[in-house]
Amino acid sequence: MKMPAASLPFPGLRVRLRLSHLAESFMLVFFAVVMGLPVLFLLWSSLNVAAPGKDAVYSLANWIRGFSDPGTLSALWMSFLLSVVRLIPAMILSVMVAWLIARTDMPGGNTLEFLCWFAYFIPDFPLVLAWILLLDPSFGFLNTLAGVLPFVEGPIFNPYSFWGIVWVHTSTNGIWFKVMLLTPVFRRLGASLEEAARVAGASNLTTLRRITLPVLAPMVLAVAALSLIRGLESFNTELLLGLPAGIYVYATRIYDYTRQEPPAFGEATALGSVFLLVLVVLSYFYWRYLRGKRFIVVTGQAYSTMRVKLGKWRYWALGGCLLYFAVMMILPLSFLLIGSFMRRYGFFNIASPFTAAHWQNLLMDPIFLSSLKNSLIIATATALAGIVLYSTVGYLVASRKSRGAELLDLFCWLPWVVPGILMSLGLLWLFLATPLRSVLYGSVWGIALAMTIKDSPVSTQAFKAAFLQLGPDLEEAARVTGASWGYTYRRILLPLVAPIAATVGLLNFGSALTSISTPVLLYSAQSRPLSILLMEYSFTGELERAAALGLLITLIISAMVLAGRRLGLKLTGS
Amino acid sequence: MAQAVIEFVEVTKRFGPALAVDRMSFAVAPGEFFTLLGPSGCGKTTTLRLVAGLEEPDEGEILLNGIPIASPKRGIFVPPDKRRMGMVFQSYAIWPHLTVFENVAFPLRVRREPAAAVKERVLGALDLVGLQGLAERGATELSGGQQQRVALARALAYTPAVLLLDEPLSNLDAKLREQMRFELRSLQRRLNLSVLYVTHDQGEAMAMSDRIAVVHRGRPEQVGVAAELYETPASSFVGDFLGRTVMLRGTVKKSAQGSWIDLRNAGGRISLANNRPAQFAEGEEVRILSRPEDIDLLPGGEVGPNQIKAKVEMVAYLGDHLEYSVSAGGRSFVLAAGKKARYPVGAGIRLAFDPARITVLPL
Repeated sequence: MKMPAASLPFPGLRVRLRLSHLAESFMLVFFAVVMGLPVLFLLWSSLNVAAPGKDAVYSLANWIRGFSDPGTLSALWMSFLLSVVRLIPAMILSVMVAWLIARTDMPGGNTLEFLCWFAYFIPDFPLVLAWILLLDPSFGFLNTLAGVLPFVEGPIFNPYSFWGIVWVHTSTNGIWFKVMLLTPVFRRLGASLEEAARVAGASNLTTLRRITLPVLAPMVLAVAALSLIRGLESFNTELLLGLPAGIYVYATRIYDYTRQEPPAFGEATALGSVFLLVLVVLSYFYWRYLRGKRFIVVTGQAYSTMRVKLGKWRYWALGGCLLYFAVMMILPLSFLLIGSFMRRYGFFNIASPFTAAHWQNLLMDPIFLSSLKNSLIIATATALAGIVLYSTVGYLVASRKSRGAELLDLFCWLPWVVPGILMSLGLLWLFLATPLRSVLYGSVWGIALAMTIKDSPVSTQAFKAAFLQLGPDLEEAARVTGASWGYTYRRILLPLVAPIAATVGLLNFGSALTSISTPVLLYSAQSRPLSILLMEYSFTGELERAAALGLLITLIISAMVLAGRRLGLKLTGS
Repeated sequence: MAQAVIEFVEVTKRFGPALAVDRMSFAVAPGEFFTLLGPSGCGKTTTLRLVAGLEEPDEGEILLNGIPIASPKRGIFVPPDKRRMGMVFQSYAIWPHLTVFENVAFPLRVRREPAAAVKERVLGALDLVGLQGLAERGATELSGGQQQRVALARALAYTPAVLLLDEPLSNLDAKLREQMRFELRSLQRRLNLSVLYVTHDQGEAMAMSDRIAVVHRGRPEQVGVAAELYETPASSFVGDFLGRTVMLRGTVKKSAQGSWIDLRNAGGRISLANNRPAQFAEGEEVRILSRPEDIDLLPGGEVGPNQIKAKVEMVAYLGDHLEYSVSAGGRSFVLAAGKKARYPVGAGIRLAFDPARITVLPL
C-alpha cells in the first residue's frame, strides 16, 4: 500500500478482508502436515534400514526384501481381485435398487432408503462374526441345517475362502453406500429428458437403457471407481476370514509385517508405498474424470414427477429388496444376538446351550468400561473436530476464491487414497518424531486426530455440496448488508448447513466407533477403543463375548442414527 | 452535475483471459435512477458486483461520493460489508432459515442497533414494500413476488448509499412485473434514492430510468435518457437493442441544392438536411436507421422526396393494426400500418421516411 495509512478512507480494512484467506492458509498448512507429512515419512522411512532411534542408513533393502517375497505380489493381486469380483454384482444391484427407489412407483422407497442408510452404519466386524456363526464348517448353523438334507455330505459353506470373503463383503458394505449415493443422482435427473424419450416413442425399458443410464453413466462409473478404491483398503473381513485360509490382502500383509518380532516396519512401508502409488494413479484418473462431469445431472430442471409404472411387479420389487435386506442384515444380526447368549458359540445341541454369563462378564470387565470411555471420547472428538474443520474446508473449496482451494480439495481426497492402516503407520512415525509425542502417541487424542483425518473426503464433499447448493447469493447478500465474513459464516452459512453438519458428525462418530484399521497401530493399553477390544476378543477365541460387544456397538450406533435422523429432519424443517 | 454517488473511472475486470468489463466509465448522480441495459454476458452484472465489492477490479478506480472504494493501483479495496450498499439479487437471496422479520432486521443487527429501533425500522420497511402483517412468516412460505419485496425491504432497512438492483423483476410474472416497475420508481422518487439498476429488458429500463447506459462487450456503448437513446442511437447495436429498427445502405451525395443519401437499390433518395451533412464526405457509404413506426406506407406510384420503392411480401392481421413484411433495397423488414389502406401480397408500394427522425451512421 503506497498511500499513508492516515489518508485512507477506511483504515485497517485490508486485514479484515483477508480473514477467509487466513483460514485457507491455515487449513493448507494443517493438512499438509497431518496428511502430506505421514506419507512422505512413510516413503522416507521405507528407505531407512537402520533400527528406530539409530542413525539413518539408506538403502533399497526393504523394497528388495518386500518384493522378492512372492507373498507380496500375490497379496496385491488378491486385493485387486477381491475388490473387482465383489464390485460387479454390488454395482448391478445398487443401480437397480436406486432406480426402483427413485424412478418407479414401487411402494416404500423412503423406508428402503432409510434401511440402506441404517445398514451403512452397522459396523462390519460384528457382522463378520455373525457370518462365522452361520457358515463355519464345524459349527455353522446353516451347515448344520444343510446336513439334515439328504445327499449332503460335509459342510457346504465355508466363510474362510475367497467366495466366503466376497459373500460377507456383500453383506457388510455391498450395496448400502452405493444406493445412498446413487438414489439422489437418479432422483435429480431432469424429468424432461425421460419424458422426451417416452413421447418420442420409447418404452420404459428402452428409456432406461438408452437415456437414463447413459446420461447417468458418469456418476454410476464414478461410484464404481470410488467403491473399487475403497474396497482395496478393506481390512477387517480379510483379517478374520482370510488369515485362517492363508488368504492375504495387502492390508493384512502390512499388519502382519508390523506384528512380527521384531516388527518389520521397513517392509511394511515399502509395500505400503507401492500400493499408495497404485491408488494415487487410480484416484487421479477418478478425480480427473469426475471434475468436468460432476454437475451434469444436477442441471436437470425439476425433479421427475413421472415415475415408471411397474404394475403388479412393484410389490415383487419391494419384496425382493426387503428380502435382500433381511438376508444380508437381519439374519446375521439375529444370529449375533443368539450367539451372544450361547454357552458355546454355535453349539445348539449341548445341554442348556443358553446363558447370560457373557453379557455379565463383558459389562463387569474393567477393560470394557475403560474402552467404552475411550471410544466415546474418540468418537465425540472426531465428530466435533470434523464438523468445525470440514465445514470450513468445504466452504473454502466451494467458494473457490483462490488457487489454494483447489490444492485443499486435492488434499482432502488423500485419506481415501491412503488406506487406514497406512495412514496410521505414517502418523505413528509422525507422532514419534514430533514434540507432541507425549500428547499424541498412544493416546485417545492421537487416535481422534487420525480418525478426523480419515473422514476428510466424505465430510469435505458433503459440506462442499451443501455450500454449492446454497449458491453464493445468500452469502453475498449478507456481506453487502454489512456483515463481516466471520459474522456471515456464523449467522447465515452454518445454520443453513446444520442438517449436513449433523449428518457429518454422525458419520464421523460412527466410523470412529467402529474403525479398526486406523487405530490398530496407534492405540495403547490406556487408549484402547471398543473396536480394538472386539478384535482382541475374537482373536483370543472369546467369540461369545465378542458377539455381545459387537451387538452393543451396533446398538449404540443404531441409537445414534435414529436420533440423528430425527434431529436432521427437525433441522431441515420437514 | 453534483458530486457523483458512484463513479467508474476506466474500470477493467477480467475473468482469466475473458474481459468482462472493459475500461468502463460512468457516473451516477445523487437521487438518480441509473440503468445498465444490455444482453446477457455483456458485463452489466459484473459491473454491479464491482460496485457492491463482490468483485475486485483489475484496473481503474471506483469512487463512492468521491472517495475511492476500489483502486488496484493505490492498493485500496473496501470489502462489501463496509460499503453501505443495499442490494437486491436476481434470486432475491432470502435466507431460508430466518423469518421475514429477521431477514429484514439482519443489516440492522449487524450494525448493533438497539432492539426498539430495529423493530421500528423493520416494520417501517415492510410497510414501505406492502408486506404489513407478514413479519413472522418463514421466508420460504412466501411467493416469488413477496420474496422480492422482502429483499427490497432488507436493502432499504438501513439507509444505503446506493440501492443496487440486479434484474429484480425478471423472476416475476408479466403482470406483477409491470406493477412493480411503477412501485419501484415511485419508491425511489419518494425516498430520493440513488439506484443502480441492471436489466436486459429495454421496456423496464425505459419505463423507470432517469438515464440508461447500454452496455455491450463490457463497455457502455451509449449513455443518455431513454428518448435520446431511442431516437438517436449512437450505433446499430443500441438501435437494435432498444427496439426494432429498419436499416438501409446508401451513398452520400452532395450538390449545390443540398445533401442527400442515394439509396440506389431502392430507387430513392433521402434528404440529409437535418442530419449533419458535414460529418460525411461526398460518395461515402453510410447506413441509415429508422424506427419502423416512423415510416409511412403509401400506395405504389412515382417516388417523391424521402421515399423509396418496396414490395409487400406478407401481411398479418393483428386486430387493431396490420403488419406488413416488405422488401426494399434488397432487405426485408416488418412495418405496422393502420387498417384504412390495405395492400395485398405482391403489391408495389412506397415507403416514406421522416428525414428528421433517421439516424445516419458510417458503414
